[in-house]
Amino acid sequence: MGGLLMAWAQWLETTPWGYPVRTSLWLYPFIQLIHFGGLSLWIGTSAAVDLRLMGLGRRRQTAGQLSDQLFAWNWIGFAIMLLGGFLLFSATATTFLVNAAFLVKLTYLVPIALVWHIIVQRKARTWGKNEETPASAKLAGVLELALWLSVVTAAVLIPSY
Amino acid sequence: MYDFFEAFEQMGWVQWISHSSWLYPAISVLHYFTIFWVVGTIALVDLRILGFAGRRQTASEWSDQLAPWTWTAMAICLVTGFLMFATGAGEFILSGMFVGKMAATLVGVVLAVVVHRGVRKWDRAPAIPGSAKVLAAACLLVWFGTILLGVEVANYGFF
Repeated sequence: MGGLLMAWAQWLETTPWGYPVRTSLWLYPFIQLIHFGGLSLWIGTSAAVDLRLMGLGRRRQTAGQLSDQLFAWNWIGFAIMLLGGFLLFSATATTFLVNAAFLVKLTYLVPIALVWHIIVQRKARTWGKNEETPASAKLAGVLELALWLSVVTAAVLIPSY
Repeated sequence: MYDFFEAFEQMGWVQWISHSSWLYPAISVLHYFTIFWVVGTIALVDLRILGFAGRRQTASEWSDQLAPWTWTAMAICLVTGFLMFATGAGEFILSGMFVGKMAATLVGVVLAVVVHRGVRKWDRAPAIPGSAKVLAAACLLVWFGTILLGVEVANYGFF
């Protein structure tokens, strides 16, 4: 399994997308921009819903309405972020595979945060039906924010490993 | 100028951040998280003005819900950014990339303020005027430019 993954990583580095991202002088930061631009939309939309579930901020809309309205750009942001992330990974895949911070980020933190995000998104309609949200919704919002903060923490630590 | 900022870098509380094993990473995490938050909420308002998002609501309703978070996150982002700058102030101030990033941030903040202030007026028009769309597109591009320069500063350090 480990050998197979490593072989895949080695192949990724030679692909028509992995190779240029690694070797070009100017391409890498633009790919980072794709990753971070998508992530901005993802965090901007997710945090707005989480904070509304927590009962913070303006109350022009219920959490349910807000979640519905931000839904499309939430997932557009996710798709952009994923594309950028995959390209960045492809560029130096073999080093990422042995980076402890990256492995913790991708195998534990991101899946947990993502599953929780989907649960919160599905429950937002019932939790966020009225202007006032129940205590469980507030807790769910705090938890999601904390989970994405932990993902960013692992990401920030990648260069130190 | 270098001497002044170098001396600033040597101040006790700045040294405390530089030498702590966890303080600098913690500040970085907050800085990254809040810049995503700032750019995300600004982009959503710009996308609404351009007609790509939130069309079930007026642009000012959309902006009213998101703008408080833009400015909350912006405050955290500026404070944490200043703390990170402090640890390498002498080198940062001489870095073209860093000065460029600051200039782009300033233009981005001004454009975001102009957009937030204009949105109510544009809503009263029969359709959002073309000039508003140009402004929103410019705002979006400048913020992407800020991320790009920020990424370069982080990748290459002082240039």
